[in-house]
Amino acid sequence: MNAVSTEVFLARRWKRFALVLGLFAVGVCLFLVLNIILGSVTIPLGDTVKVIFGGAGSDEAYSAIIWNIRLPRALGAVLGGAALAVSGLLLQVFFRNPIVGPFVLGISSGASFTVALAMMGGYLLGVTVVSSLTLSLAAFIGALLVMGVVLMVASKVRDIITLLVIGLMTGYVASALSSFLIAFAQSENVHRFVIWTMGSFSGFRWEEVRLLAIVGIVLLLASYLLAKPLNAFLLGEDYARSMGVNVKRFRYTVVFLSCALAAIVTAFAGPVAFIGMAIPHLARLSLGTSDNRILIPASILAGAMITSLCDLLARMLFAPVELPVSATTAIFGAPMVIFFLIKGKTTI
Amino acid sequence: MILRTDKLTVGYGKKTVVADINVMLMKGQFVCLLGPNGSGKSTILKTIVHILAPLGGEVYLNDREISRMSNQDMAKTTAVVLTEPISAGLLTAYDVVMLGRHPHTGFMGKPTVKDSEKVIEALKMVNAENIAQRYFTELSDGEKQKTLLARALAQEPQLIVLDEPTSHLDARHRIEVMLILRQLTQEKGVTVIASLHDIDLAMKACDVALLIKDEHILACGTPEDVLKEDLVAELYGMDRATFSAYLGGVELKGNKSGKPVFVVAGAGSGASVYRALTKHGFSIITGVLAENDIDFHIATAVGATTVKSPAYDVISQDTYAEALKLLDEVAQVIDAGFPVGAMNQPNLDLIRWALDEGKTVHTLRSQAEAETLYGANAARLILSLDFFELMSAVRKVVKN
Repeated sequence: MNAVSTEVFLARRWKRFALVLGLFAVGVCLFLVLNIILGSVTIPLGDTVKVIFGGAGSDEAYSAIIWNIRLPRALGAVLGGAALAVSGLLLQVFFRNPIVGPFVLGISSGASFTVALAMMGGYLLGVTVVSSLTLSLAAFIGALLVMGVVLMVASKVRDIITLLVIGLMTGYVASALSSFLIAFAQSENVHRFVIWTMGSFSGFRWEEVRLLAIVGIVLLLASYLLAKPLNAFLLGEDYARSMGVNVKRFRYTVVFLSCALAAIVTAFAGPVAFIGMAIPHLARLSLGTSDNRILIPASILAGAMITSLCDLLARMLFAPVELPVSATTAIFGAPMVIFFLIKGKTTI
Repeated sequence: MILRTDKLTVGYGKKTVVADINVMLMKGQFVCLLGPNGSGKSTILKTIVHILAPLGGEVYLNDREISRMSNQDMAKTTAVVLTEPISAGLLTAYDVVMLGRHPHTGFMGKPTVKDSEKVIEALKMVNAENIAQRYFTELSDGEKQKTLLARALAQEPQLIVLDEPTSHLDARHRIEVMLILRQLTQEKGVTVIASLHDIDLAMKACDVALLIKDEHILACGTPEDVLKEDLVAELYGMDRATFSAYLGGVELKGNKSGKPVFVVAGAGSGASVYRALTKHGFSIITGVLAENDIDFHIATAVGATTVKSPAYDVISQDTYAEALKLLDEVAQVIDAGFPVGAMNQPNLDLIRWALDEGKTVHTLRSQAEAETLYGANAARLILSLDFFELMSAVRKVVKN
């Protein structure tokens, strides 16, 4: 029986949504600030504010650390986390499967392959120094290649599971090609490559942040506009169609957006594990709803918050040694997914 | 006219499932599709709502060919309730019903006051307001089905297409769903087309029955005209059960080669006796039954050898003799405890004769009643208080 009327029930639910979103937003701000303050040199909060808002008498050393190193990196983590979380959310709803993530369609393997090609294949051609921008470009091209294959398949195959399997297989092929390169490469390059495949937000520069911000925000907004058909899709493809969703166009859009979101992050930070898979669950369970109109903003905030925290831990736990960010995201994310699975709380 | 099909052929890929379908559905009609599993009921329904493309022919919705309509336009006219189970994640029943407003809401799907009102109205219509705030996945099958029905209603369609809406439901929800659909057609003028497995419910609730078998429409018409014994038997390929239009349901047929038992019954007293004997594999001989007796219809449906006499007539000497001849060949007799009147005195004579002949005679009458009817011979009757005792006694005699 209903204890309260529908109006009261809905109002209470909105209160909960607002509270959760508020908490996530506070979390994002908190970890963003901590990411700027903490490091090999701890910068007092007052100085940080001065540097950022251009107050008089700000320390030049502090200014250099904040503007050149910490702020771009912190913003990179915020944007990257948000993009990965939404990418994962889109794919979970689309595949009607709660344990898929952004890389399930082989995006990371594709990016890894082209990065491997740039790092190790370049050597064969006599190129020894590869700039980080080249690597980003290579990663993006690799991700796009896989995305192209998947989109092409998506237009032909009706069955969603088939599409999922084809994505996985494409990923395996890309990984196999990377292994070829590794077998022939110098060990020094292999080491660099392995580190790259574990992801990192270090070395983020302003041009990269700007690009990630512009493309990322456009893609996130576009994803938000997809909330209505995504909700219809919760009941399955046939119901979605019967409710007026143009399924073919929707399928195309979802695959494009989720792949593009994952690709842009991977280009700059490498494959960052588990954020895309775990964050949508965190958002769903905190909100108690599968309504994507509220889940998308919540995933953006939760993704930004948790990724910032993970990057903070990656930098600080064993300082001055820095961990790959996937090491912390996986340690955080994998147990979370296991916990939700065991509790039977995984859903779309 | 809401929906019309013109030489429609449905199927998957190149495989034709049902061919040459020409039907017309009117406003406010309740149409049911009946047919064995795999006959193509779902395929037809999915083609009508354009989830599947037709293999041939056309479907017209309000005189518009549906392949030329956008999904959005279709959604404003047609709502579906599919049979595949759905997992709605963390959506409440209210949220699921609100999804039905999809074709009516704006770009972001933000519900207006009118949308909320329609959702509440739909929930009320299916008596599901009390479950609105619960998560869909936590509901029982019956509650889920009502929620999905409310979702379809919230879509404000002219046509609702339901694939096996009563499967997996208990008796109460089964009837509730049918009554809601009936109400919808009559009060709101919505056209309903549903595939069903319950012939009895279909017969009692629908306006039109469409019988589908072996890639074609076997028959189409009002259930009263179409749902006849032989057609239903043909439809489902039933040889061990009989559909009876009088009884509005299916009776299981008895075993003709089982141990024979003669049942003397009438006015409904035989109904349960026939069914109990059928279940236990006995072959039934019964009489004398008037053709206007409910027991006559049940006896016929279970395939009993029946000695009948014309409706509203006394039992003739010839008929009595026929019954006596059959009774003579049987070792066990059951007196079902029928009411006795001027017309069926000979039936009492049958039992008296059996007692005189030393046959085993069971009765469901009380001792006092038996003594009044059979006098001193009553002492030789085997009295049973209920069916458990009766069947135990009958089987015991067979064993010895």
